[in-house]
Amino acid sequence: MTSHSIVDSRRLGRWALNGAAGAVLGFVLLPLFFVTWLAFFRQEIPSFPPDGYSLRWFASIWNNPKFFDGFLLSLQVAVTAMVVGLVIGVPAALCIARFRFVGREALNSLLLLPLVVPGIVLGTSIYVFHVEVTIWTELPILGSIAGLVAGHILIVIPWCVRLVTASLAGFDRSIEEAAQNLGATPVRTFFRVTLPTIRPGIVAAALFGFVVSFGNLEMTLFLVGAGRTTLPIAILQYLEWKIDPTIAAVSVLQIGLIAGAMIVTDRFVKLSRVV
Amino acid sequence: MTASATAGTLQSLAAREMRGGRLSTAGFLIGPATIFVTVGLLFPILFLFRYSLNDFKPGVLMIDAFTIKQYVLFFTDPYFTAAFYRTLRVAVVVTAICVVLAFPLAYVIARTQSRWKHLLIMLVVLPLFVGNAVRAAGWMTLFGNKGFLNVSLQWLGLIDEPLRIMFTETAVIVGILAVNLPYVVLTLQSVIEGIDRAVEEAAFSLGAGPMTMFRRVLLPLALPGFVAGGIFCFILTMNAYATPVLLGGPQFVMMGPLVYIQFAIKSNWPLGSAVAFILMAATLVLTAAANLVVQRRYRR
Repeated sequence: MTSHSIVDSRRLGRWALNGAAGAVLGFVLLPLFFVTWLAFFRQEIPSFPPDGYSLRWFASIWNNPKFFDGFLLSLQVAVTAMVVGLVIGVPAALCIARFRFVGREALNSLLLLPLVVPGIVLGTSIYVFHVEVTIWTELPILGSIAGLVAGHILIVIPWCVRLVTASLAGFDRSIEEAAQNLGATPVRTFFRVTLPTIRPGIVAAALFGFVVSFGNLEMTLFLVGAGRTTLPIAILQYLEWKIDPTIAAVSVLQIGLIAGAMIVTDRFVKLSRVV
Repeated sequence: MTASATAGTLQSLAAREMRGGRLSTAGFLIGPATIFVTVGLLFPILFLFRYSLNDFKPGVLMIDAFTIKQYVLFFTDPYFTAAFYRTLRVAVVVTAICVVLAFPLAYVIARTQSRWKHLLIMLVVLPLFVGNAVRAAGWMTLFGNKGFLNVSLQWLGLIDEPLRIMFTETAVIVGILAVNLPYVVLTLQSVIEGIDRAVEEAAFSLGAGPMTMFRRVLLPLALPGFVAGGIFCFILTMNAYATPVLLGGPQFVMMGPLVYIQFAIKSNWPLGSAVAFILMAATLVLTAAANLVVQRRYRR
């Protein structure tokens, strides 16, 4: 009797839990669903129910050069920041995972710091720093593309360090030693043994780095410079003015791009193992 | 004798050389990133602090000085203190709700073994990757006077006049909640995954109901996950930008937007720097305090 009721209450609990989990997932996905719906409205005003459906807002994106220019700049900055971030971040991660030296923990924390410092603080401090450097060196650093990219590299580095060190966590060093005992040079050992091990970490770092840079808003607001805009800034500024199917269509394209990047990356690394 | 001594010296020499070589390799590997983060982040934060001690005169803009005037102004002017307490309030409310809501989803993902698990994680990560502004756009579609929510409620006959949801604290809290939930879910999920399922089964077989099992077994074990997720959520809310700007409107000023207003619109760099510094300090101090309290309470 008692055991029966416990089994029942367990089943009930299980249902309640699944229901609650579904509701929470729905809540998180709700805004994406509605912005997608709005992109296909026929009328311009976002009122429900829609008068009908149309694809014309996707065509009207091209009439607004801010979105296209913003997209191009975001793409250029994100790709550059991702590549440079990997080039200097992956060796640093290898060093942290493989070498034992005094101050290793401190260096690890330092490299993860850009992740902890809020975007707004990051943006203001780098802005102020650029002001000072521009005054000292008389080089046009303030509001330059180089300054913008440097800021983005900064936020890519901690993801490289974190994901690549994680991918080396369970790695057995004796495999490398075995390779060298069998006559492989250190370089050859790296490319034939170490690199294949950390490849999932590098692919994940590339995805996270790209996404973090592409979507960055707060820091970029301070660094973008006069007369330029990135896609997230263009979307924010448009939304501060109004919400209509055009901006919804832009949003849908961004959702599609991110989803595409995730699916492509997922073919190389199971994302559920990395996150 | 001599031979073995020589061999010993040679060995130690070789070891030293190798250690030196390894150290230089290590430096070569980690050097660039270290220099980059030091110059790109640590120096700028020092400069930010220095700027916050400068003086400001409208028209003249920034004046070199060494004064705590900006900090005093911040904590005495009701406009700024209101923004500060508003931000704190929203952060506490969002964190409290977020931790509760994240649990069921985190648990289900952690305990699912089929290919659904993969899909679930992708569905949680996708909104995280799509920008905050895009998600705010979704909420704007829902919350407007003729938005989905008001039209549905009117159609159901529950309200006569559209509710004003846009540009309220509720809208901001809902928006930030949805932004932060994926982070907390993923943090919590990884901790729950590390808890042996047999522990739960043991509690059940000893006669505990689901609630008792949760309270007495799962909650204490998953506490580090709750704490880490909660802290993450608190930091994110304190520093939120796009969501309060878009869903709260120009009247609902939180700390993040306040920094931007002072910098970009008022051109008051010293005050803007002070606000940014206060924001960073408040976030760090409160998270450290929360961490300490929780650790002390549950050590026994």
